[in-house]
Amino acid sequence: MSIIKKQLAILKSVAFVTYKEWAAYRTHSMVSIFVGPVYFLVQYYIWTAVYGDGGTLAGMELSQTIRYFGVTALIGYLTMDFADWNLQMLIRTGKYLTFALRPLNHSFFALSQKVGHRFLGFYIEFIPCFIIFTLLFRINMIPESIGWTIISVALAFLMNFYVNYTLGMTAFWLVDSNGIRHMFSLVSAFFSGGLIPLVFFPNWLQNIQFFLPFQYVLYVPAMVWTGNYSLGGITMSIPHIVALQALAVISMIIISKVVNHFAIKRFTGVGA
Amino acid sequence: MKKAISIYLSCVKTAFSKAISYRSSFIFGTIITLLSNILFPIVTMLIYSNGASFFKWSIWEVLLLQSIYTMSLGVSSLIFNGVVWETMNHIREGSFEIVLLRPMPPLFYMIASNFNPESIGLCIGGVVMTSVSLANIGVMPAAIHLVKFLAMFISGIAVMGGLYLIMAAISFKWVGNSRIPEIFDSVKTFGKYPLEIFPKQIRFLTKFIIPVAMIGFFPCTALLGNSNNSELLLCIPCLIFLIFGIWIYNKMIKLYEGVGG
Repeated sequence: MSIIKKQLAILKSVAFVTYKEWAAYRTHSMVSIFVGPVYFLVQYYIWTAVYGDGGTLAGMELSQTIRYFGVTALIGYLTMDFADWNLQMLIRTGKYLTFALRPLNHSFFALSQKVGHRFLGFYIEFIPCFIIFTLLFRINMIPESIGWTIISVALAFLMNFYVNYTLGMTAFWLVDSNGIRHMFSLVSAFFSGGLIPLVFFPNWLQNIQFFLPFQYVLYVPAMVWTGNYSLGGITMSIPHIVALQALAVISMIIISKVVNHFAIKRFTGVGA
Repeated sequence: MKKAISIYLSCVKTAFSKAISYRSSFIFGTIITLLSNILFPIVTMLIYSNGASFFKWSIWEVLLLQSIYTMSLGVSSLIFNGVVWETMNHIREGSFEIVLLRPMPPLFYMIASNFNPESIGLCIGGVVMTSVSLANIGVMPAAIHLVKFLAMFISGIAVMGGLYLIMAAISFKWVGNSRIPEIFDSVKTFGKYPLEIFPKQIRFLTKFIIPVAMIGFFPCTALLGNSNNSELLLCIPCLIFLIFGIWIYNKMIKLYEGVGG
């Protein structure tokens, strides 16, 4: 019990310091208040034109599709992460050494940092964009089930972090992992459902998504938010898909720990 | 003028030599740049494969528009993209004096010394996609349409150039904000789709104020033979936009304070 208390205290203090550190650069985050609604506006007109007189596409009505893009933008503000960039930078410059010497697991430290960073994102990006989407575009942004949505977004937050952190660990082997990171972020943007809802994909490509981490980062929480999940012809109840998402997150954490076990042996601190 | 061209060509040569010395990084970077920019045509293909369309535009016509956009992005990125990032870095580090001390106009030096060979992939990808789209549409553009296309394509590059220079100029005041390009990327998105899908106000904005419609839409309609001669007048706001970009960049240089370096 005291270990959990101690870990929570560490998480709280690291998150708070990160929050304060990034709050100094808050205009950096405030860019989202312009960028998010502009992208949304483009999506709004694209899909309005695409749907034409109405009807459904890939089982989604226009209002659902528009809402989907608003929701994915909001979820993005809550789960955004660059642990991969940070870790590869620490490894490449040798600064990882300072973390290796601390009596604290680096992945936990990085996760705590992310918590602080996204708390700031919640105030500076999420809330303003939520208000803009709701009041200006008149889109219903209230989750269908607030409880399940919070759980699903929290799982997406963890999934995004552990996927990125594992990706960052490739720098232990490659030193400069920029190429692989960029390639992955491209694939991820496409298969997470950020560019187009996954139900628009060919059926076989939709089915593959159950075994890849991407949909659990964005598509699943977006569908939980909007209240119905369907992919590859499989419809699941919200508790079921959240349970599957939790299973995927646990698997990803295990993979990340295994990779970390082997990766740390590769570290050679610069100037150490 | 001769001297300026010779300096520019030397800088281009140096940029290529530098890229070739790290060839695996160059090849990988080129491929990634290309892939990241051909994703949105895939989205279009998915939309059409689900039986939907953008009004009367066929899938290959929309892909042609987006290929031209990619080509324009490639060429402008080749020339101007480095200016944004290098200006940002110089200002953040307080080392812009190095540029100011050169015996040539700072903007020219920044453009010449920051040629970005990695965008070659984007240009090639754009050309290939444009050719494939044209072949599938089955249109052989007439000479007059090609001339119109070229005038509009160059104007589109001028718009892109203006955008890059405004971004770089903003970084003199908004120091170290690496998200400035995101603001302009979001605005450019309006240029990736047929203009008809947007309401009047946005059409006006993208034709005359921030003329991003000239990046893809107008050159595409010219190539398809669907544009009228009066649309050539729309090249004027594009040139004004570039001139504004140059003016604002030079104006902002005067605000540079340095860090006593």
